[in-house]
Amino acid sequence: MIVCVAVVGHQNNPLYIQSFTEADDALKLHHIVHCSLDVVDERVNNPKKSGPTLNETFLGLLYPTENYKVYGYLTNTKVKFIMVTTDLDVRDADVRNFFRRFHAAYVDAVSNPFHVPGKKITSRTFAERVSTIVKSFGLNAAG
Amino acid sequence: MAPAAPRSGEAIFASVEHVNSELFTLTYGAIVRQLLTDLEDVEEVNKQLDQMGYNIGIRLVDEFLAKSNVSKCVDFKETAEVIAKVGFKMFLGITASVTNWDAEGTTCSLILEDNPLVDFVELPDTCQDLYYCNIFSGIIRGALEMVSMKTEVTWVRDMLRGDDAFELKVKLLKQVSEEYPYKDDE
Repeated sequence: MIVCVAVVGHQNNPLYIQSFTEADDALKLHHIVHCSLDVVDERVNNPKKSGPTLNETFLGLLYPTENYKVYGYLTNTKVKFIMVTTDLDVRDADVRNFFRRFHAAYVDAVSNPFHVPGKKITSRTFAERVSTIVKSFGLNAAG
Repeated sequence: MAPAAPRSGEAIFASVEHVNSELFTLTYGAIVRQLLTDLEDVEEVNKQLDQMGYNIGIRLVDEFLAKSNVSKCVDFKETAEVIAKVGFKMFLGITASVTNWDAEGTTCSLILEDNPLVDFVELPDTCQDLYYCNIFSGIIRGALEMVSMKTEVTWVRDMLRGDDAFELKVKLLKQVSEEYPYKDDE
């Protein structure tokens, strides 16, 4: 179950944060997303020496906390996608798939001529697509 | 020499050079954004888009007639069909349909199911009165004026405002007979 997704700009400014649970711990989720940005920066600045990574976009599991797992994805414009999930057994392929679709939705939202890059994403279509992708992630992983 | 038969829209579309549709969409979006920034008033932007379309239309009609070899249209109904099937297909690759003819045959609706100009576009709340594709109404008006038909083109349905298709109402105001600018007394 994905509880939260976030899009963070290249100056670590939030562009889009959406939580998908009954939100009394929305603040905690925002805090987790914020902390995970540090991990992202660390990964970006100290690349692992275990061989060249061709697909540097998918950062993988950033860190597991109490009952959440946080995954990250970096685009080549340094825009970061963060995903927080409560699933304990998540397949890598599912997460990559999720981020790929999320990236496609993000690209379409940013191509809107009325969107100002650097400002928050206000597109309703983007929000709907994201919730569709999130819902289908849950179904795929459960199967 | 026998006149060449009219070519279908698809044949012409296949034979002309193509441009990347995303480049086209993004360029048009940039034009509209810049107009909004410069003029700041949505009505003014609508008028400017219409004027730009008019300037395009008066030049476009020559290219259209040259490439498509259509014969002279008998009446306005045929004109509308030609615009929808050949014109839109040739220049944009989309097929429009013509419906809603009124009793006298002077008003019809052009329906566009898909529209490459509005990929990715969502109107912000401050610009809800903007007719984003108003350039089309100018183009049709300009092109028809060059073939001696004065028309009025308005938007009935707009997908960016929540409708299910784009619908343009084209109304023929009058058919201007060809006038010579000077008296030919010879």
